[in-house]
Amino acid sequence: MTSHGVPRSATREERTIEARQRELKEISEYQRLVEEVNTKVHAKESTPQLLQQTAELLRRNPEYYTVWNHRRRIYVHEFRDLEKQVSASELDEDRRVSQVLDIIQLDLQFLFPLLLKFPKCYWIWNHRLWLLQQATALLPVAQARPLWEEELGLVGKMLSRDSRNFHGWGYRRIVVQSLESLRLQGQSMSRQELEYTKKMIGINLSNFSAWHNRTKLILKILDEENATDDERQKMLDEELELIHQALFDPYDQSLWFYHQNLMCTFDLDLAAKSMAPHLSTEQRLSYIASERRYIEEVLEDAQDCKWPYQALIECTLLEAKMQQGLQEDGRTKILQWLTELKTLDPLRKGRWLDMERSLVKAAA
Amino acid sequence: MALVAGPGIGGSRSSAGTLPAELTLVIDKHVKYIQGLDSRKDELDYWLTEHLRLNGVYWGLTALHLLGHPDALPRDKTLEFVLACQNQDGGFGAAPGHDSHMLYTGSAVQILATIDALTDLEVSQTGGKERIARYIAGLQDPTTGTFAGDEWGETDTRFLYIAFNALSILDMMHLVNVESAVSYIQACANFDGGFGRAPSAETHAGQIFTCLGALSIVRRLDLVDAERLGAWLSDRQLSNGGLNGRPEKLVDVCYSWWVLSSLAMLGKLHWIDAAKLITFILSCQDSEHGGISDMPGDMVDVFHTVFGVAGLSLLGYPGLVEVDPVYCMPKKITQALPYHQA
Ligand SMILES: [Zn+2]
Repeated sequence: MTSHGVPRSATREERTIEARQRELKEISEYQRLVEEVNTKVHAKESTPQLLQQTAELLRRNPEYYTVWNHRRRIYVHEFRDLEKQVSASELDEDRRVSQVLDIIQLDLQFLFPLLLKFPKCYWIWNHRLWLLQQATALLPVAQARPLWEEELGLVGKMLSRDSRNFHGWGYRRIVVQSLESLRLQGQSMSRQELEYTKKMIGINLSNFSAWHNRTKLILKILDEENATDDERQKMLDEELELIHQALFDPYDQSLWFYHQNLMCTFDLDLAAKSMAPHLSTEQRLSYIASERRYIEEVLEDAQDCKWPYQALIECTLLEAKMQQGLQEDGRTKILQWLTELKTLDPLRKGRWLDMERSLVKAAA
Repeated sequence: MALVAGPGIGGSRSSAGTLPAELTLVIDKHVKYIQGLDSRKDELDYWLTEHLRLNGVYWGLTALHLLGHPDALPRDKTLEFVLACQNQDGGFGAAPGHDSHMLYTGSAVQILATIDALTDLEVSQTGGKERIARYIAGLQDPTTGTFAGDEWGETDTRFLYIAFNALSILDMMHLVNVESAVSYIQACANFDGGFGRAPSAETHAGQIFTCLGALSIVRRLDLVDAERLGAWLSDRQLSNGGLNGRPEKLVDVCYSWWVLSSLAMLGKLHWIDAAKLITFILSCQDSEHGGISDMPGDMVDVFHTVFGVAGLSLLGYPGLVEVDPVYCMPKKITQALPYHQA
C-alpha cells in the first residue's frame, strides 16, 4: 500500500543540488498536468485531448483513482452518445459496435504496460474489469467473448511472473466466472481451472494460492457434475495421493495447510461442507488411521519438524470426536507431542501450553 | 494545509545497518517525524501520494495519540482539512477535489471521532452525521449484503469492515442490513478458519482483520472457529519475530498488526512470542530520524509507523496509550462511543 521492500537510502538532506532541481522540475510538470486535467473536467469537457492527458497522468501516477473515474465518465458519455445516434438513425448498429470495440481495445492496450509496471495497483485491475464489463453489456457475444478470453491469457502471464499475486488469483476467478456465464454463452471451466492449479503446483509446490484454489474448484466440480458418493470418495483419494507425493518436503507449511483442509472431511463438525460429506464413521476412522501411519513415516525422517506433530495431534483429536472422547493413551501421546512442540516451536509456546492445560483439565 | 503527507517515505542510510544494543522506542523522534510530514512539498512523492492524504492524516494522528502526544497536530487545521475533503454525496475523497470513496470516508470518520469533532459536525450542518452515514449505507449491495468501495462497484470485505467501523462510530448501524453482511462474511470463510476478500478467495491476514473486526463490532465473533483461526494466525510468526500475511510470505510490520489485532480479538494474543515481535518492530525504526518501516533497513513511512506503534501498544509496551484492536484507535475513545454503551 505504501513503501514495501525499498532499502533505506540517502535522506533528502543528502540529495545533490542537481537531484533536487530535477525533482522540483518534475513536480511542477506534474502539477501543471493535474491542473489542466482538473480544469477541463470541471468545464465538463470530453475531448480526445483530455483523454490523452488523463492517460499521461495515470502513466505517471496510476494510484490517482479520481482520474480513472474521469476516464470512465468520458467513456460512459461516449457510449451513450453512440447509442443515441443509432436510435436517431444517424449511425448503423455495426458501426456503433466497431467503435465501442475500438475504444475498449485501445484502453486495454494502454493498461497493459501499466499493469506490468504496477502489478499491485488495485485501480488498474478495477479499470480493466470495468472495460470488460462494458464489453459484455454493450457488445454482441461474438465481439465481447474474445476480449475476456484474451484476459484469461493475460492473467495467466501475470501469475507466471508472480505466482502468489493475491489480486491476480482473485481477478482470474472473476474472469473465469464471466467466461462461464450464460450472457457470454459459456460453460463450466472448473476442470480446466483445476488442471491449471496442478500446473502451478508443479512449478512451485509451496504455491498455497494454487492449493487454495483447488479446494474451491473441487467442491464446485463435484456439485456441477452431481457426483455420487463414490465419485466424491475417488476425488478425495486422488487428492490425498497428490498431497502425499508433495509432502516429501515436510517443512513446507503450504502443504500441511492443504493436508489439514483434506482432513476436514473426517471432522464431524466440518464434513458437511467437505468434498465427501457422507462417509461413514468407520470410513472416516480408517482414513484417519492411514493418514496417521503416513505422517508417522514422514516424522521418522524429520524429527525436528513441527508440522507432523501438529498433524498427529489433529488426527488423534478427530478420532476422539467420533469415539467416546479422548482415551488415556491418546491423551498421553498428545502430551508427548506437545512436549516436542514446546521445544521445536517455542514462538507458539502459549498455544501449546493452552492445549496442555485443556487436556489436563478434561482429564481431571 | 494537509497536516500529514502520505506516506512520508524516508530514512537515513546510517540508521539502516547499525542497531543499538538496547532497542527502545524513540517516541520523540517519531512525533517529530510525523509533524514534519507536511513540510515535504519539495518531494515528488508528496504529490504522487495525494490519493493517500486523508488516510495519512488518520495514520499520523492515531500514531501521535498512541504515542501520548494527542495535541502534536493542530486540531482546527485537522478539522478544516477533513471537511474540505467531503463531497456533495456526503462521502469523502482522499484530498480536496478527489472523488468520494469508502477508504477515505472511513478515515474521515475515525479522525473526527479521535479529535472529538463529531459534535462540531452537527453544529456546522444539521444532520451532518447522518449525511455521511447515508453515503456509506448506500454502498451496501442489497442482494449480497457486502459493500462497494464507491459508485463504480468494486467489492471487498475491507469495505464492509470500514462501513461497520464508521457507522458504529456514528451510531448509525440501523441504516444497514447487518444480518446479510454477516452472512456474506461467513461465505468468505475458508477451511483454514480464515477469510478472503470475497467468497472463494484465499485467506489473507488483512482480510481476516477486516472480517473479525466487522464481526466484533456487531458482536458475532461466536461464528468464528477461534481455535483453528488462532492457530493459523500464530503460525504467521517467523523466527525473527515478525509476522507475515500468508504462508511462505515475507514478514512485515503492517501484517504484524493485522495478525496481532486479530489474535487479540480472539483472545489468543499469548499464542505468539510478544518479546520477539517487540524486538522486530523496534528494529524497523529509523532511530535517527523517526518513523517505522516494513522490515529492518527499509524506508520508513507513516503507514508502517502507525501499525508498528499500534502493535507495540497492543503488546503492552510501556509508555503507550492503549489501542483498540478492532478500530485501531485509542481505546478510551472507542469505549466512550454511544454505540458501545448499549
Ligand atoms: Zn507492510
